[in-house]
Amino acid sequence: MAKLSMLNDSGVSRRKFLAGVGASAGAVAALNLAGCGKSTPITPVSPPPNQHVVTDADILNFALNLEYLEASFYLYAATGAGLQASDTTPGSTATYQTAGTVTPGDAAAVAGLTTAQQEILNEIAFEEQAHVRFLRTALGTAAIPMPDIDLSFFGPLAVAAGITTAASGTGSFNPFASFDDFLIGAFIFEDVGVTAYSGAAPLISASGVSLGYLTAAAGILAVEAYHAGYVRTTLTGRAIAAGSASAYPYLGIANQVEALRATLTVGASAAPSTSGSVETELTLPTGLTTASSIVAASAADAVGFARSVNQVLHIVYGSPTVGVSAGGFFPSGINSVFATTTA
Amino acid sequence: MANQETQLLDDVIAKSRRKMLTFGLSSLAGLVAGASAPIAKAATASYTDADILNFALNLEYLEANFYYLATFGTTIDKANTASTAAGAPLITLSGTVGTPGTVSGGSKVPFATIPVASYAIETAVEEGKHVQLLLTALGSAAVAQPAINLGTSFQTLAAAAKIPGGSGFSPYASDATFLVGAYVFEDVGVTAYHGAASLLTSSSNLSTAAGIMAVEAYHAGLIRTTINYLDPTGATIGGYTNLISALRASLSQAGLLGAAPSAYDSNPDDFGLATFPVSLGGGANVTATRLTDADSTNVVAFARNTTQVLNIVTGGGAVNGSVAVSPATGVFFPAGMNAGPNGFR
Repeated sequence: MAKLSMLNDSGVSRRKFLAGVGASAGAVAALNLAGCGKSTPITPVSPPPNQHVVTDADILNFALNLEYLEASFYLYAATGAGLQASDTTPGSTATYQTAGTVTPGDAAAVAGLTTAQQEILNEIAFEEQAHVRFLRTALGTAAIPMPDIDLSFFGPLAVAAGITTAASGTGSFNPFASFDDFLIGAFIFEDVGVTAYSGAAPLISASGVSLGYLTAAAGILAVEAYHAGYVRTTLTGRAIAAGSASAYPYLGIANQVEALRATLTVGASAAPSTSGSVETELTLPTGLTTASSIVAASAADAVGFARSVNQVLHIVYGSPTVGVSAGGFFPSGINSVFATTTA
Repeated sequence: MANQETQLLDDVIAKSRRKMLTFGLSSLAGLVAGASAPIAKAATASYTDADILNFALNLEYLEANFYYLATFGTTIDKANTASTAAGAPLITLSGTVGTPGTVSGGSKVPFATIPVASYAIETAVEEGKHVQLLLTALGSAAVAQPAINLGTSFQTLAAAAKIPGGSGFSPYASDATFLVGAYVFEDVGVTAYHGAASLLTSSSNLSTAAGIMAVEAYHAGLIRTTINYLDPTGATIGGYTNLISALRASLSQAGLLGAAPSAYDSNPDDFGLATFPVSLGGGANVTATRLTDADSTNVVAFARNTTQVLNIVTGGGAVNGSVAVSPATGVFFPAGMNAGPNGFR
């Protein structure tokens, strides 16, 4: 609820929300994925005053960075290749003028899919590709190019989540290895996408609302939630079919991913499904009278969660540290005025 | 229940100023040439955030009662052993605006599979919480629960959608028919909250509405995923989704009040689980399955205005030719929705 109550404070400024001020960073477990593995203590800092007035284009471009990442992941999983070059180029007036490249790691078309599974992968890949194109078209000349993207980061991320000990090679986590591994890879992104758009939608200016930006953001948010519903339903359904958590370890692995995301959600880093968290753990229904846990929402009133830009950044950089401007899935940082973690 | 969020929501509603607003959505078409999202016909209306939230409350009454009856065999205002064990909120029908009605039809589904049974319980509890949230937030401005038909309404709609044996269709007969019943509601909930989002004046109401919309979309994704898993080729319930979506698109189109009928065929605002060709990364076309209810070009979920939503849930009761009917009555709302003086019904 921390995030919603922040939003509910009508005096809160857009900048303040974006910076995630009010977050209690001291409670965050130390974690350093990109570096040598040493613990890094967190020091709360104030955001620098008066640097850049946040525009709607800044918010849409932030979203575009995330869509480049999601589209690259799903396109590789569905086809073995990423976005076509023409979908990654900079707009003529964008602050950033160099299209990045994808470090594929293990990226490849997922093998062994049923026809139904392949058609769903195709669908999600198509939809994320469409979001990239839609945002690029909406932003026009202001559209940022694709930043450098590192799909080999799934390995270190899985180590940080405690799923395995090998960050690469034999024994490492590879989301392209099988349908179940793919579900885990998708799970890493989808709930985060929902919360990112939920956090961003109320930041859009009044003129942006009349231009349709809010409607667009809300509509993309809904699509991300459909995807998240698919991933969580499929993980849960396969666990039910297998009969136990041990017979289908992926449900537990998804919850390990979720616990890591919670840790990285600086300012709302309580454990999933506990007070103050923006994560809902998956559960294994064991009979006809137990509930599933498909929806990620507050236990009190079943309202979906939101994350600040800063919290989303911590997750995709794989770091709870303040002042970090690159890492994780984005080895050169995102192309955004929000590229550096601020709280 | 009155946490900080709902209290603030209450404050904002109380202070919310009445405003003039062009009723209708700024369409994506304004942003992107060739976008296929529908443009709601503009009409001028005067209303508050409370009117919008009350519109949502009517829909939540409908959804929550459907899931409670199907899952627990009781309505939202009466607890039984099953609803209590599941932790489903027992709703005190505290809304007083408008005319209170009764809920007719509906019965407990003889669930046979754990996935569908567990999804039903989760969804019932979550929709109950939405009713409770809106009732608490609206306080004395909340509308009463209107008359709701959850029995013959489904047969009427199923027959209109041309579902085989539609005039005898019951969503309470089996796991499979329950999923079809749920399918009728969830995508509509998404489009209704989506349509409302840009009309809300306070950012706290907006963030709450966005959060509820996300939950409706999770539900919709859940339902579509499960139907697709059970019937991947569309021979039965998967195919029914296309029939239902076509009916909803048709009713929604009529809700635009005078837009050219031809616009519907090339430009529906609803899609079932049919497959369609897509090009990925510039490659040759491959086949994809509609997992989301969104336009084919930009893949932004659809939004509907209140007349469009009313026309769907009343089975065409909101429109007479090119004129809006108020109150709209029929199908799920035999006496219409409840609303304040400037509300939507």
